[in-house]
Amino acid sequence: MISLTSPVEIWAHRLPAWLKLAALSLATVCLFAIESPAVLALAVAAVAGLFLTGGRVFLAEGFRNLRILWTFLVLIAVWHGVTGQIEAGMAIALRLLAAVALANFVTMTTRLGDMIDVVSFLLTPLRRLGLSTRALELAIALVIRFTPSIARKGALLTQSWRARSPRRPGWQIVMPMAALAIDDAEHVAEALRARGGLE
Amino acid sequence: MTMQSPLPPKAAASDPNARSSAAPSPVLKLAGVTLRLGQHEVLSGIDLRADERRIGIVGRNGSGKTTLARLLAGLVAPTEGTAEISGVDMAKDRKAALRKVGILFQNPDHQIIFPIVEEEIGFGLTQMGLPKAEAAARSHAMLERFDKAHWAKAPVHSLSQGQKQLLCLMAVLAMEPALIILDEPFSGLDIPTRMQLMRYLDGVEASIVLISHDPAALRDFDRVIWLEAGRVREDGAAGPVLTRFERQMRLWGEEDDLSDLSG
Ligand SMILES: Nc1ncnc2c1ncn2[C@@H]1O[C@H](COP(=O)(O)OP(=O)(O)OP(=O)(O)O)[C@@H](O)[C@H]1O
Ligand SMILES: [Mg+2]
Repeated sequence: MISLTSPVEIWAHRLPAWLKLAALSLATVCLFAIESPAVLALAVAAVAGLFLTGGRVFLAEGFRNLRILWTFLVLIAVWHGVTGQIEAGMAIALRLLAAVALANFVTMTTRLGDMIDVVSFLLTPLRRLGLSTRALELAIALVIRFTPSIARKGALLTQSWRARSPRRPGWQIVMPMAALAIDDAEHVAEALRARGGLE
Repeated sequence: MTMQSPLPPKAAASDPNARSSAAPSPVLKLAGVTLRLGQHEVLSGIDLRADERRIGIVGRNGSGKTTLARLLAGLVAPTEGTAEISGVDMAKDRKAALRKVGILFQNPDHQIIFPIVEEEIGFGLTQMGLPKAEAAARSHAMLERFDKAHWAKAPVHSLSQGQKQLLCLMAVLAMEPALIILDEPFSGLDIPTRMQLMRYLDGVEASIVLISHDPAALRDFDRVIWLEAGRVREDGAAGPVLTRFERQMRLWGEEDDLSDLSG
């Protein structure tokens, strides 16, 4: 669900990051207050409209960024279908869809550095107390840096498996993936050290 | 990517950021250095003193070149012995190390910390205490030097392997350390980029330690060190050391026995 800033520049890129994040927080609170599936469906339509203001390519990118969410939505639908609470299930699924899409919209239209500046500003009280917030700021950057890279390594492992086996890989690549992630962590630690660490 | 026009030949030499030629070269000093990683003794009893401007390191796969580079840069401390640059222990004094030594990792994926190109280059600069705006300006100047201004906002995962290598190099060069250690920097670069880089390296005032499997790249260096199984096998003027190195490599290459892979 972590999507990088979109290369398609739209109007929302020019809004200040704090404004977008504040609006996002407000909208999310509202979404969680709404119970009616019909109203939530309207909210989803509104979010889709918001994406459309960025043009076709931007909308398509927004869709792609929601891919991972579909599994969850289907799971929720099936569960509630089985337990007979169809209305509640719809509400949850629509709410999740609207909230995540909206969050993605902000991510796609905000430079990471600006986002971190806002977080850093919000953490000013902590710094006053003498705590270092650099680690957290760095952690955000690291998550965004390594999510695509780990996904890519997973894909490469799958290819490497296919190149040597007629069967599809399954759980067998989980261990090597975990090993790769640990390996990555060690390398980042060293790369950080090479450039002065976290003091 | 379109073919980039190479830099004008004088561009690197007239770099306003380059140190004045009066700056003394850093002095590398290793005394009785042994490094064990797990059970394995990767470096054994290395004694070395070097203040040459251009130092090459050669050796077979697994001979310990990368490990030596990490040690020189202060990323690992020796198990026994001492390693210093100009009298300072790089593993202990990380703050001083930032100005003294920069290292280009063999694998760029192990070096890149940030998701966006300009952030990756700017990070080292802010780490050195530069204000954000200044760091950003210097990052852009560095990108421009290699005709890559359009990379600034690119996500790093969209770069090819060779492009990532160039990015790592720019991040190291931007910090202007007194000594730059390059671990096989040319392996992924195309010919124009390689030539551009070599010319740039000729122009920088910094001392350079270059690890390479290509003897031709080290021909006019001041000194070449040949590592074999974690020890210094030869050390001296580039010409004779490289000649013997090449001869030995060919000799081993003609043998069929791969069981002899070092390591
Ligand atoms: N973290 C580690 N733990 C244990 N052994 C290691 C570790 N890193 C490297 N080695 C071993 O140390 C030896 C030297 O490795 P090093 O990476 O320094 O070689 P190299 O000369 O750079 O080789 P190449 O030309 O392949 O890059 C190898 O035998 C390797 O297996
Ligand atoms: Mg190596």
